[in-house]
Amino acid sequence: MKEDNILTVNDLSVSYGKFNAVQNVSFSVRRGEIFGLLGPNGAGKTSTLSAVEGLLKPQGGTIMVDGNDAVAKPLHARACLGVQLQSTSFQTELYVIEVLQLYAGIYGVPMSKDDLLGILREINLEDQAKKKFGELSGGQQQRVSLVIATIHNPKLVLLDEPTTGLDPQSRRQLWERIEAIRDKGHAVLITTHSMEEAESVCDRIAIIDHGRVIAIDTPQAMIDKHRNDPEVIAVSRRGKITLEDVFIALTGKAIRG
Amino acid sequence: METSIPKTSTILKTLLRADLTTQWRNRRAVILTLIVPVIILVSWKGLIPKLGGPFVLSNSITIGLIATGLMGYSNSIARDRDKGIFQRLRVGPLPAWTIMGSRIAVQLGMIFLIATFVFLAGYEFDGVSLTPGGYVLSYLTSLAGGLVYLSVGQAIVGGIRSPETVNATSRLIYFVFIMSGMFGELLLKEAGKVLHDIIVWSPYGTVKTIVAAGMEPAKWNNEASMALLVTFGYTIVFAFMGIKWFKWTSK
Repeated sequence: MKEDNILTVNDLSVSYGKFNAVQNVSFSVRRGEIFGLLGPNGAGKTSTLSAVEGLLKPQGGTIMVDGNDAVAKPLHARACLGVQLQSTSFQTELYVIEVLQLYAGIYGVPMSKDDLLGILREINLEDQAKKKFGELSGGQQQRVSLVIATIHNPKLVLLDEPTTGLDPQSRRQLWERIEAIRDKGHAVLITTHSMEEAESVCDRIAIIDHGRVIAIDTPQAMIDKHRNDPEVIAVSRRGKITLEDVFIALTGKAIRG
Repeated sequence: METSIPKTSTILKTLLRADLTTQWRNRRAVILTLIVPVIILVSWKGLIPKLGGPFVLSNSITIGLIATGLMGYSNSIARDRDKGIFQRLRVGPLPAWTIMGSRIAVQLGMIFLIATFVFLAGYEFDGVSLTPGGYVLSYLTSLAGGLVYLSVGQAIVGGIRSPETVNATSRLIYFVFIMSGMFGELLLKEAGKVLHDIIVWSPYGTVKTIVAAGMEPAKWNNEASMALLVTFGYTIVFAFMGIKWFKWTSK
């Protein structure tokens, strides 16, 4: 029987020298859900994601991706993942269609030129196939990155702050694409600074601060749970309690590096 | 159901195609790399009667090898690392060695191209030709020599993270190698045995020795064998340093 969780992170610890970036973090992502990882700058979101992606070797804990231990069987774990990094960059000399071809090959997905053009057509970029990635607009680059992250039909898609720098139209369009990924049965783990994004697209969220998970729930349940906390009411700006109010109350008002 | 991962051969083929395309799109830089050896072939034409064709050809090839291994390889690695291209590749289900293996394979192809280009230009401009055995052995010694400079390039990107500093350092080392190798042996013969020996047994000197010896297999001697061993030694040491120190991000 398939386990309900596609990703299980248990007691994860990541350190940079003496600095503990992630300390005993545990959470799980269920099949077919969008899970948000929220936290201020330097809270440990990207370090957690990097450990799941296999870019960092954790000092402790376990990461299981669809039953594959990400440390013991990293290639098997990574084969289940589709990844969009925070600052995505592809080979500058390659055309968009060649970048798609490269990643399809890396994930072992045979694709003809027509298949690749079909993928670009789906994201309205067929006419940009012979452009270099750096020549695309920010929104177009995000669409290409996302389509590359899902080119092998992964069970879990990891998106590290995917809407940073996008205009409202591009952001809304990306949210719809992320929801479409979920609707196809994939799970999505997303890190974001945007509370609006977390409320709009995430089924569940975890708030991480100083390398520790301090709350996990659905956005609405989290708001309801903390609605009457004096700290939350104190930071509320418009009378209505929002996820951002709860987030500020839990993580503090101080600006992080 | 067991998760399946793509075959390594499929991944390598895919990476090679992308890296070859990248190299092709950078062909202007490649052409510039080939110009310096040709300048040497033309300007040193007068030295051929005195020093022999293999001397001039081996210097030209060695300089081409230095340019491609030291500057081309190290700068492209430093640039792609800084842009996060390696990190994006590494989150895929591919062994890390395939990323570098593909890059090095393309550079080995470049070495083959440089040697061929110098042989053709040497014949065209200087009328120098080798025996079939000489060509075969010269290709092999060129590959062995090219690996030294690739490993030096790897050591540079292993020790230095900033692409600008990698660029400056590789240019400086390129200049030192060229000045000491090309002119050192010619001009400093009188400056003392120790200095002369340093130049002869430097990474420039040993590569030039084996490439020159490879052009005349019948004259291969103990000194050439020793130079080949030292060349392998340099490759192992620099590659070890470069791999041990290498970080996939520039941050």
